[in-house]
Amino acid sequence: MDLQGQNGLLSTYREGWRNRSMIGVSISLLLVLFYVVLYWEHKVQEYFGVTPLTAFSEAVGLRNRWYLYGFLYSVAMVAGGIYYLRRHGNSRYNRYRITVNIAIQIALGFSLPFIMPLFGGKEVYLSYFWPLKYDYLYPQTLADLPLYFALYTIVGSLLAAPVLAVLYGKRWYCSWVCGCGGLANTFGDPWRHLTSKSTKSWRFEQVSIHLVLFLAIATTFLIGLDWVIGKDHPTFHRIVAGNDWRDWSIKSFYGFAVGSILAGVIGTGLYPVLGPRVWCRNFCPMAAILGWVQKIGRYQIKVKPDMCISCGNCSTYCEMGIDVRSYAQSNQSFTRASCVGCGMCAHMCPRGVLKLENDWERSGDKARQQLDVVDF
Amino acid sequence: MRVVIIGNGVAGMEAALAIRAREPSAEITLVSEESDHFFSRTALMWVFSGQMSHRDIEPLERDAYERLGLRRVRARATAVDVERREVLLAGGQAPLPYERLLIASGSAPRPGPWTGGDARGVGHFVTHQDLRWYEREVHGEEAASQGPPRADAHIGATTQDSPYRFRDVAAERRGSLAKQPVVIGGGLIGIEAVEVAVAAGLRPKFFIREEWFWPIALDRRESEWISGRMREHGVDVYLEHDVQELETDGDGNIAALRTNHGRFDADCAVIAIGVIPNTGWLEGSSVELDGRGGILVDESLRTSAPDVFAAGDCASVRWFDGSQRPEQLWYTARDQGRVAAAAMLGDDVRYERGTWYNSAKLMDIEYTTAGLVNFDLDEEDKWFFEEAGKVRSTSRIVTQAGRVVGFNMLGRRWDHSVFIRWIEQRRTLAWVLEHLNEAAFDTEFVPPLRIPRS
Repeated sequence: MDLQGQNGLLSTYREGWRNRSMIGVSISLLLVLFYVVLYWEHKVQEYFGVTPLTAFSEAVGLRNRWYLYGFLYSVAMVAGGIYYLRRHGNSRYNRYRITVNIAIQIALGFSLPFIMPLFGGKEVYLSYFWPLKYDYLYPQTLADLPLYFALYTIVGSLLAAPVLAVLYGKRWYCSWVCGCGGLANTFGDPWRHLTSKSTKSWRFEQVSIHLVLFLAIATTFLIGLDWVIGKDHPTFHRIVAGNDWRDWSIKSFYGFAVGSILAGVIGTGLYPVLGPRVWCRNFCPMAAILGWVQKIGRYQIKVKPDMCISCGNCSTYCEMGIDVRSYAQSNQSFTRASCVGCGMCAHMCPRGVLKLENDWERSGDKARQQLDVVDF
Repeated sequence: MRVVIIGNGVAGMEAALAIRAREPSAEITLVSEESDHFFSRTALMWVFSGQMSHRDIEPLERDAYERLGLRRVRARATAVDVERREVLLAGGQAPLPYERLLIASGSAPRPGPWTGGDARGVGHFVTHQDLRWYEREVHGEEAASQGPPRADAHIGATTQDSPYRFRDVAAERRGSLAKQPVVIGGGLIGIEAVEVAVAAGLRPKFFIREEWFWPIALDRRESEWISGRMREHGVDVYLEHDVQELETDGDGNIAALRTNHGRFDADCAVIAIGVIPNTGWLEGSSVELDGRGGILVDESLRTSAPDVFAAGDCASVRWFDGSQRPEQLWYTARDQGRVAAAAMLGDDVRYERGTWYNSAKLMDIEYTTAGLVNFDLDEEDKWFFEEAGKVRSTSRIVTQAGRVVGFNMLGRRWDHSVFIRWIEQRRTLAWVLEHLNEAAFDTEFVPPLRIPRS
């Protein structure tokens, strides 16, 4: 039977592993350890003389540790997806969204890149775009890619992604397609209530996400410039791109700081401590761009007037740390840049006050009596 | 201006915010016995199950009082001295002088009138302290979840008859948790108490005096669906059971409940037979009350005493049908708090309820109502449709003299404000059925309600 809203009560705060208990923190430490070994296996080899992930990947026929990672990633999403659907699967939006997201990960995030090299093709990730996949607009990368895919990534990153965000909000990507969002919404779902709702965390997010966006654009620009003038300016080339992949350069710094530390070690490793969308909320440059676009687009969360009982289920289960209740109790339909449209606020609301929708007409909120929001 | 507000609930807090927004220099003091921090009372059930923490049900961050310059006094108010313009407090605390006083002391649970109604293991599910008692009976402990600040700060300044005192816990006395809870009273708090017991893995017994669950809101067909759903979830629903006595064991713990149909074992009982205005402390304070204990107020929420106002569950207000009684709802309390604040600042404002509406969630079935249903109007006619299939729902539309006057909808989400507009526009049933899906508020991908044309 399809029921509106959450079916049955959750016991979130009665489960220690979901609330930063010793077990929760231990899970986090294991995840962090996994990412450290994954990204810096050459260092592990240097100090300990072993390459555990590579050795294991080769033993099970997954060729290298990145395919092993893709495989484990898919397994984590399927397992987390089952967990998610058992809890929230009575709603169609949740069912469709998670199923599509997992299918895309398995097909485009793992299988296609794994299979293509077998037929002599290039390993390409059709479900990732610049600036999230930051090297997909580097001229060198584009030059190395097959033409159709180079076009796909340019049009996808610069045109299709923003246009779709205007029409449907950033959720079309962040909650239906993206692997980072997919992992957060499945494997990370047990910890979604841990995302901080404090005003401080909101201020932090606004600064941090735009800082990373600036770094992404600046790095891409410098690497593009290096492609043009690098041969004639060896010092510039050394600083921007490095002569060897081991060199510290702007390119490798971005990969290290953003790609490895913020997206992997912190963004995923700390799920059980900071909640599952640490990366998406605070650091993802693609989310920053789509967030701006979303603000001028059709997507909004519509609030039914004068029905909110301020219970806080919406805010508690918002993985992006949005205080949805503050809008609901003041009768304000709203669009927040960070909202990834997972739909959980509307799902958890016991009074059906919230509704995700795409509508140019902002639900006549001018006609509606809005309550003054007391500004603290 | 020196403002004292008795009650830290939604009416009191809303008034404090509204006054602060306009009067940065007003001296505002909130008196609360129950809690240090404003919280959403409607959300207690989720704290019980562990779905939310105490902090999650607080709409304002914990430093809000300091930031807004709102002073808090944690004590029981015992009387208002209208002559000297002072609020008297329990526990030997100095009286609080006021220039404007708002009484927003809310509701208290209606006590069980039966023998054994105050036995150990018998309680309610209305206050913070009730939550703590019920959690300890069923779970043995409160969820480790950022508990309420200074939970027991009122203990030094309370009285014996307070609804905010801590109850003895039968489970602790017995040394074993409750395994057979019973809930008495077929209303919203009753079904919440039942639902959280189910979520804790128990099989509660639910005793309802009436012919069906929640007759003031649901008709028999609607209610049968809810009762069926409760039974599917493992609740034993007993209709037309009049409770006569609660039996105790030799140690003073509840042991059984006796109704007109027999004796039922019980080791924990939640009495949910309604709430009454929390105004017992006002007796002898020359603030006029109605026959049921509600504080009589005029359209501007003024009481009979000068510069004393009342808002929220404790205030007896004028209803759309002309009657005068308390209106125990979250959003009306909020509205009243706002109106009272304006009136206290000298505005010429009126509290107008408008068309009735409400919503609820009964186990996992959502409910929306607007207008006049279950009023047995003259010339009344009812249109009823039951949707079976993947989406289940019932729709009941009441007409009077050919015009739609009320909606009672279960299972789907509806925008009540659209219903209210149609009622005020005096639409016909045919018109409303034609346009019904314009009021739909279902989540995305839910197929719209299709009504077969007759």
